[in-house]
Amino acid sequence: MRFFNLPPQIVRLILLIFAILVSYLVARTLLTPDTFRDYGFFRGAALSEHISQHKPVFAGKAACGERHPDVLKTLAKGSHKNLSCEACHGVVSQEHLKDPANKMLKPTPQICVRCHEASPSRPAWFKQIIVKDHYSDTCFECHLPHQPNEAP
Amino acid sequence: MLATIGGVFAGLLALPAARALKKKFSKTTAPSDYDASKHKWLMCLDVDKCIGCGLCADACKTENHVPEAPHFFRTWIERYIIKKPAPNSITLRGEVMVDSPNGGRGGFPPSLVPRDEILKAFFVPKLCNLCEASPCTQVCPVGATFDTPDGAVLVDPTYCIGCGFCIQACPYGCRFLSPETKTAEKCTLCYHRITRGLKPACVEICPTQARVFGDLKNPIEDDPLQAFVHKNKVNTLKPHLGTNPRVLYANLDKEVR
Amino acid sequence: MTLQLTSILAEVAPHFDGYVYPNEAGTHPLWGVLIVLYPYITGLVAGAFIMASLVRVFRVKALEPVYRLSLLTALAFLLCATLPLLCHLGHPERSYQIMITPHLTSPMAIFGFVYAWYLMAVLLLELWFDFREDFVKWGQTEPGLRGFIYRTLTVGVTDVSDKALALDHKLSWIISIIGIPSAFLLHGYVGFIFGSIKANPWWGNAIMPIIFILSAMVSGIALCIFIYMVLSWLRRRALDVRCLDVMGMFLFYALVIDATVEALDLIHRTYSAQEGFYVMEFMAQERLFFTLTIGQMLIGTLLPLLVLGTLQVARKFVPNGIRIGLYFTCAVCILLGVLAMRWNVVMGGQFFSKSLRGVMSYKLEFAGAEGWFLGIILLSLPFIILTVLIKLFLSERMPTSGHVPHRMDNP
Repeated sequence: MRFFNLPPQIVRLILLIFAILVSYLVARTLLTPDTFRDYGFFRGAALSEHISQHKPVFAGKAACGERHPDVLKTLAKGSHKNLSCEACHGVVSQEHLKDPANKMLKPTPQICVRCHEASPSRPAWFKQIIVKDHYSDTCFECHLPHQPNEAP
Repeated sequence: MLATIGGVFAGLLALPAARALKKKFSKTTAPSDYDASKHKWLMCLDVDKCIGCGLCADACKTENHVPEAPHFFRTWIERYIIKKPAPNSITLRGEVMVDSPNGGRGGFPPSLVPRDEILKAFFVPKLCNLCEASPCTQVCPVGATFDTPDGAVLVDPTYCIGCGFCIQACPYGCRFLSPETKTAEKCTLCYHRITRGLKPACVEICPTQARVFGDLKNPIEDDPLQAFVHKNKVNTLKPHLGTNPRVLYANLDKEVR
Repeated sequence: MTLQLTSILAEVAPHFDGYVYPNEAGTHPLWGVLIVLYPYITGLVAGAFIMASLVRVFRVKALEPVYRLSLLTALAFLLCATLPLLCHLGHPERSYQIMITPHLTSPMAIFGFVYAWYLMAVLLLELWFDFREDFVKWGQTEPGLRGFIYRTLTVGVTDVSDKALALDHKLSWIISIIGIPSAFLLHGYVGFIFGSIKANPWWGNAIMPIIFILSAMVSGIALCIFIYMVLSWLRRRALDVRCLDVMGMFLFYALVIDATVEALDLIHRTYSAQEGFYVMEFMAQERLFFTLTIGQMLIGTLLPLLVLGTLQVARKFVPNGIRIGLYFTCAVCILLGVLAMRWNVVMGGQFFSKSLRGVMSYKLEFAGAEGWFLGIILLSLPFIILTVLIKLFLSERMPTSGHVPHRMDNP
């Protein structure tokens, strides 16, 4: 068979190129993920997958406020008002959610010191103490953690 | 022969058409109660408010199950110590020392530089700069990393081939190749949290509001982001690279890179 | 979450000087010895092809003995060019996505297409047109598997009339002309992968593609000299000294241009001393002294420049035996020097932190995906493939029509 009397080499080449192009286009059509280019040059399903496959670990201050509104009210009066509960008490665990008898972490003085130990790198406006020169290393003798300016 | 070629051509034309049709009738990929096009999230940072407690770096690891090894961070804190100039050197500022032990995750140990040699010292929290012209999405060969319509830059872990090009292209060192998944990993702006109405873990946990987070499309009353730009003169990291970071820093020193 | 101040001691990894971003410490070096080999092998392909096109396009008659040899060399190396890349991917099984959903803003995405174009539209086609007549002939004379291979390679085209051969020749010439810019594209593009990274001042450079192309030509010609000499030695055949002289001449010219452009780059970097210059200078002196100063500059550039330059002027006064030895030494030096140059580019870009405050070092390991053992295997693979190709297509006992290194009638 001859196409327009083309030499045989050329005919073979055209057929070969055609076969390669066709197989590429077929592969491309079949292998491109369904949701590709839905929102941009990426797999659109990745967005919803990302949301559904990751569950939040930190519950957030608002969630604590649902059960402990009184504590949040106290907290709001003092200079720790902007602190998140989980910053000192740790992540709200599944056990605590299921049964409130499983207590959250009880903060230790080390947690206070983590922020309040004096450091030349800390901004001057921030309250800092030099622990070894301070009156005591048991913070809660003199400070209420939820209202640090008040004594117990 | 000609008929075969014609048939193949017809089949080729039919395939995309069938796909388009299938797409139209299958349900959309957007989560039902969250519309990405209605939000534009952003985080800004105030260097003068950071106390270097490291709670953010720690919370990020917990929240996002970042590999435990001390070299993988989606957010971390750097400590800058600028020494007093050496005697007889007619300069204003001396040597600059930077460190970030374990990303600042456990707080910072006392500095090795004696207090009376320090001219100025401060902490700088780092995270993905959410560039307007993000070099990482530009160079991804397969479209596995992308800018979401609502302002985050994500990696599709099922599509990433692990070539590492995006990691080389990020000027801020915000990406790493996860030893577990062998794919690129980075700050997602806690995408799974913000789409559920929560704040990113680092913002939630920060005791001093050094991290300010908000939605540019839905400003709330006393919006923290609006207040932030109203109050501060802001800067970005490595502005000369033209990546145009959306993350703004207040009170940034020239030594911070 | 541990809320205790446990890690109070600073963790300072011993192989860092200064400050590096934590993530850079974790995945260091992200691109190892395999990514050094990738531009090296690709460069050898481009260079060997340009060497071949000197015969086809520029009609340099003296180089005819190495025409087919350099084309086959290019093919053997091209077949291996993607392997280092594949081996280094985190998910090699997903590599097909580069062809299916190529992100056109990425310099890396086009690699599949540039590679496919170069392999199929340039190299294989040119070889096929050049060898077609021989395939038909050998297919009829050779028995067994060999004959079957040749018959398959004719793809059923057995027309070897003068008219058909004239057409072959013409097409081959056209492909060669397309091939030269394609070879530049293939390797200039590899340079662009590095040159386009503005985050890294060691890489982000407009003339990186040009440096890559020029060093590719140098290394490709050196490889052809090396392989031609080794092949002749293995076959106990006399070398065509005139051919070697001409190859040496082209090698010298290519090396002069390459060295000039690389020196220009170095001078520009030093003089403009932009951001990050001092950390790069420190890194180059501390971490790249042996590969940059000794390997790339001294052994890879200055020594061959001196020797080849002298030979251009005083060729008549140097006896053949010594000249051959000098050409061989220069070829080996350049091959090592260009390998060192690839190392300096790829690793140098990762030896300093993008914070521009610290440098890292790297211990080359034996085993593993980034170890030197795998590197050596990947680097010897093209030579094994080339051996097979030479046995099949440049066999001494089979009469040929084309340009063959050691023809029966050519003592």
